[in-house]
Amino acid sequence: MTTMHTERTVDVNVNGAHHTRTVPVRQTLAAFLRDDLGLTGTKLSCGFQVCGVCTVLVDGRPVSACTYLAVDADASTVTTVEGLAEGERLHPLQEAFVDGFALQCGFCTPGFLMMAKALLDSCPDPSREQVVEHLEGNICRCTGYEPIVDAVLAAARSARGAEAVGE
Amino acid sequence: MWPEVLPTFALARPSTVDEAVDLLSDDHVPYCGGTELLLAMRAGLLRPEALVDLKRVDGLGGVATAEGRVTIGAVSTHAEIATDTTIRGSLPLVAEVERGVGNARVRAQGSIGGNLCFAEPKSDVTTVLVALGASVSLRSPTGEREVTVEDFLAGAYWTVREPDELLVGVHVPVHRDRRGVYLRYQTMERPTANVALLAEPAGQVRLVVGAVGEVPVARSYQDLDDVDADDVARSVDPIPDLTGSIEYKRHITAVYVRRAVDRLRAVLGTKTQP
Ligand SMILES: Cc1cc2nc3c(=O)[nH]c(=O)nc-3n(C[C@@H](O)[C@@H](O)[C@H](O)COP(=O)(O)OP(=O)(O)OC[C@H]3O[C@@H](n4cnc5c(N)ncnc54)[C@H](O)[C@@H]3O)c2cc1C
Ligand code: FES
Ligand code: FES
Repeated sequence: MTTMHTERTVDVNVNGAHHTRTVPVRQTLAAFLRDDLGLTGTKLSCGFQVCGVCTVLVDGRPVSACTYLAVDADASTVTTVEGLAEGERLHPLQEAFVDGFALQCGFCTPGFLMMAKALLDSCPDPSREQVVEHLEGNICRCTGYEPIVDAVLAAARSARGAEAVGE
Repeated sequence: MWPEVLPTFALARPSTVDEAVDLLSDDHVPYCGGTELLLAMRAGLLRPEALVDLKRVDGLGGVATAEGRVTIGAVSTHAEIATDTTIRGSLPLVAEVERGVGNARVRAQGSIGGNLCFAEPKSDVTTVLVALGASVSLRSPTGEREVTVEDFLAGAYWTVREPDELLVGVHVPVHRDRRGVYLRYQTMERPTANVALLAEPAGQVRLVVGAVGEVPVARSYQDLDDVDADDVARSVDPIPDLTGSIEYKRHITAVYVRRAVDRLRAVLGTKTQP
């Protein structure tokens, strides 16, 4: 007989650190990250899968943490915006966003960065159309989307360049 | 402001279809990606006692081909279906439609089974599946039955699924010589109107208009020239909402049916795969 639980233990790797916690099954991943782990880089706005500010990666897939249960991340690897930089060294996407003025207030930026990371991880050389299509579900209220798309393309170029240099 | 927390509920994680089916009832509902269910719960529209998680059930995923049809497991996500090599090869129109569902997060999280069972009128998936003559398998504690998607969809947010039935798979017949096009008109997260138009090699045509009314409406014609866009627009039963009035939706329907006819004509002329 399968049992019902209102609380469950999750064993999750967040940005390389292991956490084992017992959480209410109704807790969202966003609440778990922000309130339990103190990782407030992941933002919350619509709560309805529409705006994308809450985007994090679960086993590499982009999900809306506002409506994703923390217990569903059990036995998974979660990457948040805090997991992008290595110490003081920014991720190529972050570099490109800064260099390309791809943010103003910055509220949408964590979501765009994580969404863009999901794309570049599976498609290192996307066309402009692919970037636009992939970012369609993220809303920015300040910048206008052109600098963001430009930054993602620039990051893809610089990552490929770095790889070529490393070879 | 919507409540940040969801109402209290319990979660069950069965590992077999039999276990899952035994747990289902009015208050114990199937739960897959949650892209509809958790939103409806947060909005206070649904308040189930327990969610029966399907994501860890064996045998509910994957894509298989047998006897001239492709079977898509209920928990397959839109992203998985869009990139599946069997789907891309045998059902390119399905792959194309799935690639454009919602946004990349909805595609990574939402399942085909959830799309069908929620029966949201503004669906792309139901339109193309009705056009292709797809059906679903429903499993209950007493057995399994197969229903066409057309019959499965009973109304807005309403299907013929019984509370103790689980949708286990979607069957789509494969017709290699069929050609088809799919068009959607969309200004918000979901389509305002969509049109699937298919041509058999012998010339017959099947037209399905979705998203405007409660359920997709299917029509058949002897010839592509017989499709009368204004007549189709008159025959649909649009739901007026923030995306447009009844009149406006009829207008959009006529425009998109006309465009679909032109597009299909071009496809048939050049004999390229859709
Ligand atoms: C922002 C946004 C945009 C969207 N855009 C589109 C779009 O453009 N086109 C489109 O077609 N759809 C769109 N959708 C709908 C999208 O949510 C569904 O397509 C999605 O796949 C639902 O699947 P799920 O696994 O998340 O379902 P869930 O939310 O887990 O479940 C939905 C319902 O189905 C039931 N259920 C789930 N699986 C089964 C099963 N196997 N057997 C029986 N019952 C089951 C549940 O009990 C629940 O009632 C959009 C959704 C969002 C949030
Ligand atoms: S807060 Fe999650 S998508 Fe808007
Ligand atoms: S930079 Fe302000 S919302 Fe995007």
